[in-house]
Amino acid sequence: MSHSEDVQDRHDVTVSSNNLRKRRIVERLFAASGILSAAIAVGILALVLGTVLFKGLSQLKLDFFTKPRPLFGEEGGIADALVGSAVIVGMCIVVAVPLAVLIAIYMSEYAGPRVSPFLRIVLDVLNGVPAIVVGIFIFGILVVGHGQSAVYGALALAILMLPMVARATQEVLEIVPRSQREAALALGVTKWRTTWSIVLPSAIGGILTGVVIAVARVAGETAPLLFTSSIAANQVSLDVSHALPTLPVAIFTFSESPDPNEQAAGWAAALVLIAFVLVLNIAAKLIAGRQRRKLEGI
Amino acid sequence: MSTTTTDPAASGTALERRGIPLGDLLFRGAAAAAAYGVVVLLGLITWKILDLAWPAIQEFGLEFIWTEAWNPVTDTYGALTFIYGTVVTSVIALLLATPLSIAIALFLTEIAPRRLAAPIATMIELLAAIPSVVLGLWGILVFGPWVAQHLEPWLESTLGFLPIFSGDPSQAGMLPAALVLTIMIIPITSAICRELFIRTPRELTDGAMALGSTRWEAIRGVMFAYAAPGIAAAVLLGLGRAFGEAIAVTQVIGGADYISRSLFAPADTLGSRIASQYQGATSQLQAGSLLYLAAILMVISLVTNVLAQLIVRKFEKQRRAV
Amino acid sequence: MKRALTLVIALAAISAVALVAGRAQAAPTAGQDTNLTGAGATFPYPLISKWIPELAKAYGININYSPTGSGAGIASITARTVDFGASDAPLSSSQLADCKSCVVVPWALSATSVPYNIPGVNGRLKLDGPTLASIYLGRITNWNDAAIKRLNGSLNLPDLKITPVYRSDGSGTTYNFTEYLSSVSPAFKSEVGVNTSVSWKTGVGARGSSGVAGVVKSTAGALTYVDVAYSIANKFQFATIRNRAGKFATPGLRGINAAVSKLPKKVTSLQQLKIVDPPASAGPLAYPIVTFTYVIVPTNSSKAADLRKMVYWAVTRGQQFGPPLLFAKLPVPVQAFAFREIKKIQAT
Repeated sequence: MSHSEDVQDRHDVTVSSNNLRKRRIVERLFAASGILSAAIAVGILALVLGTVLFKGLSQLKLDFFTKPRPLFGEEGGIADALVGSAVIVGMCIVVAVPLAVLIAIYMSEYAGPRVSPFLRIVLDVLNGVPAIVVGIFIFGILVVGHGQSAVYGALALAILMLPMVARATQEVLEIVPRSQREAALALGVTKWRTTWSIVLPSAIGGILTGVVIAVARVAGETAPLLFTSSIAANQVSLDVSHALPTLPVAIFTFSESPDPNEQAAGWAAALVLIAFVLVLNIAAKLIAGRQRRKLEGI
Repeated sequence: MSTTTTDPAASGTALERRGIPLGDLLFRGAAAAAAYGVVVLLGLITWKILDLAWPAIQEFGLEFIWTEAWNPVTDTYGALTFIYGTVVTSVIALLLATPLSIAIALFLTEIAPRRLAAPIATMIELLAAIPSVVLGLWGILVFGPWVAQHLEPWLESTLGFLPIFSGDPSQAGMLPAALVLTIMIIPITSAICRELFIRTPRELTDGAMALGSTRWEAIRGVMFAYAAPGIAAAVLLGLGRAFGEAIAVTQVIGGADYISRSLFAPADTLGSRIASQYQGATSQLQAGSLLYLAAILMVISLVTNVLAQLIVRKFEKQRRAV
Repeated sequence: MKRALTLVIALAAISAVALVAGRAQAAPTAGQDTNLTGAGATFPYPLISKWIPELAKAYGININYSPTGSGAGIASITARTVDFGASDAPLSSSQLADCKSCVVVPWALSATSVPYNIPGVNGRLKLDGPTLASIYLGRITNWNDAAIKRLNGSLNLPDLKITPVYRSDGSGTTYNFTEYLSSVSPAFKSEVGVNTSVSWKTGVGARGSSGVAGVVKSTAGALTYVDVAYSIANKFQFATIRNRAGKFATPGLRGINAAVSKLPKKVTSLQQLKIVDPPASAGPLAYPIVTFTYVIVPTNSSKAADLRKMVYWAVTRGQQFGPPLLFAKLPVPVQAFAFREIKKIQAT
């Protein structure tokens, strides 16, 4: 019955359904708003990156990479901050990644059905602790009475990195088919060797992706370093028992300066940091892509 | 006999071959230590923050939360200004970012051709990758002045009858901070929404459209209803991120001690106040009060986070039941 | 793959050992360059920047100094996270007690200028204490206010909102400025008071001398209080302030020296170093917002010998680097006081 009514509507051009037209307009609006929103987001990205690129590029002379941060009223660069960031992030990786992988292994291979979700919640809560609170924690527990040091900065960053890598590793471990583990165990391989030699190697691509993404996040963190490694000499140093200058803190300081030279240095340092983060993100995507293709090939 | 064997089945220590799984014990022990170590770490963080905040908690009690004061001269402190600032900046950021994020996610999953969707999705992820200190740098030197010279006068001329848009334009204030937070939240929320929409079973929307609804109506009626908990979780996660952001906010918010009616005026948030004053606290009570702010921030972040996790978990169960 | 992982773990273990071993080398061996870490006031940072290479040349002492603000300087040295602190604000008795046997030694002297950003104005702004207090209390909100016009008859002050800018971090310059405003305005004293960090009634906050200077530079109608070296470096216009002798004084070397001309011949305590709003007898040139700035040193640290060298050099040979940056040389009674305090820094 309704079918014949529809047919009638379609044939009756003059009795065009206003309702249908309205619905079509709404449909177009929906498409338009989607396109507009995406355009806004991409536009903002272009704006920010474009400004950083435009204002920072002119500063990227060789001097910028070889001179340390300037004293009052002088010219300088970010050599000491680059070295400091590299050292601190390196130490952070060394501490956080093995621990995170161990935690993920425990959750996916050993923990009981009640323990694993509990640990997941703990990791998620840890992930949600604001970076500044982590900075104050390390300050209160380690820096007070002993002074700042690059090691403490690395520990603070490691606390931030841990949940991200553990989560990513756990997800990848779950993807490795149960059959692989069972086959190895059936052959008499001990559980730890199974995990070490069979499960982990399959998961390594995913773990690497997770690590790279986490490093990209953590390399730009300022708040924890403000409390643990911000009072440092304006010279390149590898002495991790004292505070080392870092790129994010340098950008933070430059951003508040009225000196046009320091502001320009801030843009250039931001460009270097963004470039680093971007490269890491692209690398993560490439690894993930290769990993997916490898898995699909199995 | 060559020992460079990659055949794990043929290896094992003497103990293992005798049935005592030493390697297993050690490995499991190490993994368990790491896992429970994290639990201990979380407890330690909570304890230390409360411990450092204790002088202020003792002195002010719960009244601290609704007291609007921050006076190091008389040593009276209260968190209201900063709770207000945190909530208002984050809620504004949410109100602006959520529709945008949903629209972006829909665009990427429904409207855009596949070849266009991937690079645009990558670009939006790159927005998430911009470190907050760089957004703050851009905020202080470029965005703040633009807001003060163009956006705020325009808002005042069109919507100036509303008290929140009245008052003198300022390049450091609640509005620039809220807008910077919006930029930070969009990538997170839109990425989660995009995942949600991709995983929505096609049959739901296909069925609706077979019954004669347009695509938008199908999405609005069916997909949103299905994805609503996930969207709620995405919103909460974005909110949690906004609450915790200290650096970019402190660069553009202007550090005021009191609450103003206008969004143009300087304000302050929990994270921002801690970042700007913790190292220079003049008295034990001020330091304790700043840590009290940190404790409040932790609780707010925790609640938001746990809520998001609960919704996600319920949603996953629902999804598996479908 | 397994070999790679083993290699990574081996590297990690080695670096861990290196880290621990490096940490163990806490105390520097004699004969090497020593490092002194300090943090604190942004106010003397221009001068300290000049001292750093000179001290390295003279004694091989490498100084790391972080201008984190006086409040942070006091807190850092109290927590012993640094070797010395720097502050423009003298320590209160409770802060001194918390610091546990620290000495506070004046090592530089300069003025707090009041720079402003009024586009198109045709001359130098004149202000007095009560007007400045009213601006920071939010009672005067526009540059063309009658009170400001009264002091500046010939200036074409525009109809422009005043944005007072203050230090959001714990600052000795804030202490100096609020001490001055409290002494010339009872209303300011009761409503705001004196401290390194106060509850401002109006205005915009920024971190560090750099931060406030930055806001003034980019905001039309802004004014702030900052060390005169920062004003000069950023080519700001700064106001002349009326002193007790009735004249409008400039924060230059003559203004600073006049302000400290009435110090007692023998200085025995820090209390005597209050030099804001000097009496009329200090003369027509005396600038009302002048402050000493102090280094805070523990008397019994392991680096006492180097700290003594650093402070002694700063209050003697270091003073010659001051005048180009508008840091006046320490008056003789103050230098003598500094010597007596330095003697208290013992080697352990």
